[in-house]
Amino acid sequence: MTAKDSLREMFAMIELEMRRLRHDRTEIYTRAVQPILWLAVFGTVMSEVRGIPTGDMPYIDYITPGVLLQSTIFVSVFYGLTIVWERETGILKRLLVAPASRSAVVVGRSIASGVRAVVQALIIFPVAILLGVRFVPNPLYIAAAFLVLFLVSGGFAALSIFVASLMKTRERFMGLGQALIMPLFFASNALYPIELMPPALQRIAVLNPLTYAVDATRGLLISGDLSGLAVDVFAIIVFDVAIFAVASVSFRKIIE
Amino acid sequence: MKMAFAIEARRLKKVYDGRTKALDGVDLQVSPSEVFALLGPNGSGKTTLMRILTTQFGPTSGEARNFGLDVVKSGREVRRMIGYVPQETSVWADISGFENLLIYSKIYGVPSSRRRKNIQDALSSMGLDEVATRMVKTYSGGMVRRLEIACALLVKPKILFLDEPTIGLDPSARKAVWENLTTFKKEYGTTVFFNTHYMDEADLYSDEIAIIDRGKIVKSGTPSELKHSLGSEILRFHFNFNHANSNHDGSDGIGEGALVAVKSLGFVRDAVISDSMLDVFVEDGETALPKIVEALITEGASIERISAARPTLDDVFLRYAGNISFGRGGG
Repeated sequence: MTAKDSLREMFAMIELEMRRLRHDRTEIYTRAVQPILWLAVFGTVMSEVRGIPTGDMPYIDYITPGVLLQSTIFVSVFYGLTIVWERETGILKRLLVAPASRSAVVVGRSIASGVRAVVQALIIFPVAILLGVRFVPNPLYIAAAFLVLFLVSGGFAALSIFVASLMKTRERFMGLGQALIMPLFFASNALYPIELMPPALQRIAVLNPLTYAVDATRGLLISGDLSGLAVDVFAIIVFDVAIFAVASVSFRKIIE
Repeated sequence: MKMAFAIEARRLKKVYDGRTKALDGVDLQVSPSEVFALLGPNGSGKTTLMRILTTQFGPTSGEARNFGLDVVKSGREVRRMIGYVPQETSVWADISGFENLLIYSKIYGVPSSRRRKNIQDALSSMGLDEVATRMVKTYSGGMVRRLEIACALLVKPKILFLDEPTIGLDPSARKAVWENLTTFKKEYGTTVFFNTHYMDEADLYSDEIAIIDRGKIVKSGTPSELKHSLGSEILRFHFNFNHANSNHDGSDGIGEGALVAVKSLGFVRDAVISDSMLDVFVEDGETALPKIVEALITEGASIERISAARPTLDDVFLRYAGNISFGRGGG
């Protein structure tokens, strides 16, 4: 019964997110601007310069998975804002009085955010094709890459809910969200190979879930090299499970 | 076996962060199908009590049951049979009213076979049929509140908890909310438990009232019992400031000596000083008045005006939860 209630609530949360998107897509479009600029400006220029050794791969192709992920993770990291807002209104209180378990609220909202993030990536994807990025021409690979994207975005949304339960106010949350997102991006293999980083940063990059997500999607979308995929997916799942658990526990705090 | 109360709280205490005492031993009973109003000043523990009864968090000690089910041990079962509308907005503004009901019906687990019907029922109970497809952000405050109540009606709850259901609404919107609620209640026999600041609402729509102050229930009864508990008449004395007794630093120039003297009269049920007025609660105003005037003049008070009135719930509230009441501590 519990599982059924919780599952139903999760699907309701996903449906809510889709309905909101249907009514107002402005946010999805405006949020696509920055990643598209990364590809169109930074990617194109750095491809010409050839300053970063990426083997046979053009630089713009190299950073496409990272940019796609950055755009989705941006959505996820700021998803906590929705939770902070819902805390200020009565929505969270009301969800707590629904029959589903409290972790279903966290997991459901995280998955809903993951869905929103995938929609975000779907807008950038065709732009990348127009910019000349050559994807692996295998729909299965591309679908798998979006699944990875979805998994890691859900995890970051849970992280965001965790932060929201600690911060509780919009201003504090914004501060921390901003502080989190850029280091996350730079301390990963999104823009350059890990080997180029100083050793200290390398150690951080190895612990950064984004690194594994970039590696997996780069293999699936660009290089077609799946040798690291199993480890990557495993790392992402460990991250998801751990952060869902932590966020579910700390979620109690947000209500009192 | 005796019939279970719809709501029953025993020695309920809640302490926040080991310091702030929000509830200090609340005892409360609400019978099935009753409309119960909880009155109290800001910070008296009203919302805390409601959040415990709706299983949002547990009490520090004591216990509470809804229809015999413990709110801590059987939280899940309790949540299945209650509807709850928090004080703050609890619907999504960026989707339509109908979509809000649809999402909530899924969250609350209304079976898909009954979903359309329950949504339709909830919409018509709250008089929202015509605006159902509009975006909630275009709704008026009263419509939003009715939509929130409609969301709580989806599960056909046995108990409906409303936290300040009409706060911030204009009088006609308040009336609309209550008219719809009353019709719904008549049809389904739902127990309604609500918190409010509005005395007139409690007086008009509730069967039973409890007054909470500083985390304790200080008085409860039907609206007319409460009003009669003050005596059948209030004599209100307005004092002349310029000549008022200035021997005491008591409130606004009325001496505490005068209050004590009036209270010591055998027929006086109670007396309360507020602002520059003294309210004396008596059974028979006509015979009481001369004796009270005499006592006041002996104490040196200068009376400007005297008026008589029947006690209202405002008087009851001020008597039991008002900050300037000297009669505090009495049952």
